[in-house]
Amino acid sequence: MSAPDTGGFIGRAVPRVHAPRLVRGQGRFVDDIDDTGALHAVVLRSRVAHGRITRFDPAAALAGGEALLVLGPDEIERFTDPIPTAWRIPGQLTGTVALGDRTVRYVGQPIGLVVARSRALAEDVAEVVAVDIDPLPAVVGLTAALAPDAPRLYPEAPDNTGGRIHFGDDPAALEAVLAAAPHVVEREFEVQRINHSPMEPRGLLAEWIPATGQLTVHSSTQSPHAVRQELATALRLRVDRVRVVTPDVGGSFGGKVTLYVDEALVCLAAMRLGRRVKWIEDRAENLPSSPQCRGQRPRARLALDEDGRFLGLAAEITGDLGAFAIQAGSGPFQVAGLALEGPYRFPRAGATVTTVHTNTVPTGAYRGYGMQEAAWVRERLIDEAARELGHDPVRLRLHNLLGPDELPYTTRTGLTYDSGDYPAALRRAAELARERARASTATVRRGVAVTASVEITGFAPSALLELFRIDWAGWESTRVRVNQDGTVTVFAGVIPVGQGIETTLAQIVADRLGVPLDWVAVELGDTATAPYSDLTSQASRSVTLAGGALVRAAARMRERMHALAAAHLGAPPDEVVLDGAQFRWPAGNAATAWSEVAARGWRGWGRPDPDRIRLEESVDFDPPAITYSYSAHGAAVAVDLETAEVTVEDYWTVNDSGVLVNPAIAEGQIVGGVVQGLGIALVEEAVHDPATGRPLATGFTDYILPVCADVPPVTVEHRCTPSTVIPGGFKGLGEGGVIPAPATVAGAVAAALPQIAHRLTATPLKPERIWAALSEAKEPAGAEEHPA
Amino acid sequence: MRTTPMSGTPISLSVNGTAYTAEAEDRTLLSDLLRHGLGLTGTHVACEQGVCGACTVLVDGEPVRSCLMLARQADGCRVETVEGLAEDGRPAPLQQAMTEEHGLQCGFCTPGVLMGLTYAERAGLSAEEAVTEVLRGHLCRCTGYAGIRAAIERHWQGEGAPA
Repeated sequence: MSAPDTGGFIGRAVPRVHAPRLVRGQGRFVDDIDDTGALHAVVLRSRVAHGRITRFDPAAALAGGEALLVLGPDEIERFTDPIPTAWRIPGQLTGTVALGDRTVRYVGQPIGLVVARSRALAEDVAEVVAVDIDPLPAVVGLTAALAPDAPRLYPEAPDNTGGRIHFGDDPAALEAVLAAAPHVVEREFEVQRINHSPMEPRGLLAEWIPATGQLTVHSSTQSPHAVRQELATALRLRVDRVRVVTPDVGGSFGGKVTLYVDEALVCLAAMRLGRRVKWIEDRAENLPSSPQCRGQRPRARLALDEDGRFLGLAAEITGDLGAFAIQAGSGPFQVAGLALEGPYRFPRAGATVTTVHTNTVPTGAYRGYGMQEAAWVRERLIDEAARELGHDPVRLRLHNLLGPDELPYTTRTGLTYDSGDYPAALRRAAELARERARASTATVRRGVAVTASVEITGFAPSALLELFRIDWAGWESTRVRVNQDGTVTVFAGVIPVGQGIETTLAQIVADRLGVPLDWVAVELGDTATAPYSDLTSQASRSVTLAGGALVRAAARMRERMHALAAAHLGAPPDEVVLDGAQFRWPAGNAATAWSEVAARGWRGWGRPDPDRIRLEESVDFDPPAITYSYSAHGAAVAVDLETAEVTVEDYWTVNDSGVLVNPAIAEGQIVGGVVQGLGIALVEEAVHDPATGRPLATGFTDYILPVCADVPPVTVEHRCTPSTVIPGGFKGLGEGGVIPAPATVAGAVAAALPQIAHRLTATPLKPERIWAALSEAKEPAGAEEHPA
Repeated sequence: MRTTPMSGTPISLSVNGTAYTAEAEDRTLLSDLLRHGLGLTGTHVACEQGVCGACTVLVDGEPVRSCLMLARQADGCRVETVEGLAEDGRPAPLQQAMTEEHGLQCGFCTPGVLMGLTYAERAGLSAEEAVTEVLRGHLCRCTGYAGIRAAIERHWQGEGAPA
C-alpha cells in the first residue's frame, strides 16, 4: 500500500471510481453479460389500445420448429399471480397488476412471449403467432376519459376515475379564503407525458435451476430487492429462491423501479424451459410500452391580499394513471398535491388529487416526482400574479418566502422543512439574473426569470410510510468490513445508476475511517450479498440514507480498530493516533500498521470483546424525518418572433443540499437534472393518437431529447446548511435540478413575451404552441413597437 | 429442424488491429457482430435508428453508426471500437479527460461519444467543431453534456492535443 492520504475525502471532487472502466468499454450492462447458450425472448404486445383477446394461437409459430416456447394469456395466468402495488390512492380500482389479463388496455401491453435461440429467430416467430383482439372504444387523454359519455375502462368506474385524496386545509375553509381574497389568480395547467428515455433500455437475463428451484436474474433495475420480492409473489416462489443482480445500469430516472409484466414473463419462460432466457428491450418497445410519467392537469388558484401577501393556494389535480396503476402510479400526483406550497408561507393551502384511467401505457415515477409539477403550477401562478397585480416577481417571492428564522416550518399539507435560507438563495439568483439579462432585438425577444423550490430528499421515515399505509421500507442498511489485509469493503443496498454512488460512499467511509480512498471498494446491487434496501436509489436518498448509515458504521469500525491497535501496543486507546497507515502511540514510542491490526483482528487475537470478532460493522438507518434541499433557479431565454422558437441562452442555480460529498458529482446531478427539465420545458412529449391510442413516438426521431446545442452553460452555486436529521449533514440532490427548470424557462418566456404570458400553462413550449399564442394575441410581429 | 442462429457468409475484417474471420447472416448488423459475434461489448446499442450515436465505431477511419451498417458491409474493412483506444494498457488522453472532467455518469453513451471525438481529433477539428459537428450527433441523458464539453476543452488544450 502506498503512503496514505487520510481523511478529508468528504467535499472533494475526486474522479468517479468506475469511470476508468466505463471509458475503456469495460462496462457490464445486462446485454454485455456473457450469454453463450442463452435463449432469447421477444415480447408479444397488443396493437390496439382497448379490446378483448379472443384468440391466441401459437400453433403456426410452434410448427416452424424455431420457437422453443410461446407463452400466451392462458399459460401466463395459470402460472402467475398479480404483482402487488405499493402506494395506493383511496378508492384505487386496481390494487395489483395482472400478468395474464385477456383485456388489453393500451397499445404495447404485453400479452405473450416467444422464445427462440436468437433474437432474430424469436422476432420471426413472433410474426406468426395468431392473435385476435375484439376492439373496444379507446379512451385517450384526460378530456376524453372524463367526458360524460366516455367509454369505460372498468365497469366499476363509470367516470373512469380511479381514486381521490385531499391534502391540506379543508376544502370549505379554502373556498372561504379564496372567496374573501382581494385577488385570485386562476389557471388550468398541463404537464405532458414524458418518456424517461434512459440510454440503456430495460433488460434482463434470467436463469432457472430446476433441481434447486433457484431463479437468478440479472436485471437493469433500480430496485433489486423490491424486484426480488415482486418476482417471488408473481411467480409463486420463496424469496430465498430468488436472487436479483443489478449490473451496470445505463440510466433509469424512475423508469426501472419495479417489476414490470414483460420482465416477469421472461423469468416465467426461464422457469418453464429450465434455461437461461434473455430479453433486451429495444427503443421501439421502450418509448411506447415502458411506463411513462407526468401526465397531469392541475387547476389551481392563488389568493393574495392588496400588499401581495399570499392568502391561500388551492389545486385540483387530475392525473393520468393510464390503463392501470403500477407500483406507485398515483404517487407523483399525490406528491404534486403535498409539495404544492414549496418554500412559501401560505396561511391556507390544499390540493385534491383525482386519478383517471385512460387507454395508454401506465404512468409512474420520474425524476422530480410530483415536485416538478407542483413547481410548475406554483411558480407560474406567482409570475402571473405579479404580472396581473403589477408586482416585481422577485419581490413578490421574497415577500412570501419562508425566512431562516421560521424554520423548522410545517406546511398546510404537513411537510416539515428542516433548515436553510431560502431568501438568500433567491436573492443571489436574482442578482445573477440582473447581471445576465440581455437586450431584445427587433425579431428576438429576451427575458429572464427566477424561481424558488424545495426538494423532498432522503425519503422516508418508515413510520411515516406506515402512517400513510405505503407498503415500502424507508430505511437503509449498510455494512463496513475491514478485510484481513486492511483494505475495506463497503456493502450497501442502494445501487449505482450513473449517479456516482460507488464513489461518494467510498469517500464517506475513507473519510470517517481515516484510510486512503483507494483502499475502499463498494459492493452494490446483488441481493445475495447486499444489505436489504427496498427503495434503494430513488427519491434522492442514496447519499442521505446509505451515506448517513455509513457515517455511523465507519465511526464504529474506526473505534474498534483503535481499540485493537491500543491493545496490541499495550497503550491507553485515547493515546493512540492513526497516522497514515500506522497506529502510533507517541508516549510509548511504539507503532503498528493498520494492516497488522486488521490481520490480528481476523485471527481473533487480543480482542477486547470475546463475542465480537469479525471486523464488520452493520448499521441500519431509518431517517427520523425527511430532509429538504432547496434551490433558486434562473434562466435567460430568447424567443425568435419569426420562428417562435425558444432558446435558453443562460441558466443558473443556487442550490443547498447540505454537506456535499463530491462537488463535481453534485454539479453533474444538478446540471443533468436541469437539462432533463429543459427537455420537459421545450421538446419532450409522449403523444398518443387521440382516436386509436397508438403512441406516435417509437424512436428518437419522433421523441426529441435535448442535444448539446439546446443546452446553455449552466452555472451551479452551492450553499451549505447541514441537515439536522442525517448523520454527516447530507441532503439529497438527485431531483433538485429538474424540479424548477420548466417553470423557470416558462417564466423567462413570459418575461420576454408578456402578451402571451397567460397562455404559458402547458409544456412543452414548442414553436407551434408559442406561435398559436402569439397569433391569438394579435402580435403584429412586434418589430415596430419594440425596436432594438 | 432448427437453423444455427449465427450461420451465414464468412467475412474478414480487422477490429482494433486484430484480424477476424466471422460468419454473418445477411441481416446481421455490424453492432451485433461486434458485440455478440466477437464479444466486444464496449460498443453499446441504444436506439437502433442511428439517432443517438451510442454505437458509433470507426470503419476505415470514418465514424459509422454500427446499428445501421450490415456486418457484411464491413467485410475487408478496418474497424476501430472503444476497446482499441487505450495505448499499452493505459487510457488514451481523451479517455483520461472524460474521467477527470466527469464526462460520464451512467457511461452507456460514452463509448460512442469517445469514438466520435476520436474521429474529430484525427480530422483536425477544433474543440468548438468537435462540439458542433460531432457531439451534436450524440444523445446523453445523464450529464446535460457539460462534463463532456469540459473534457473536450481539456483534451483539446492539453498535452498531446490536436494541433
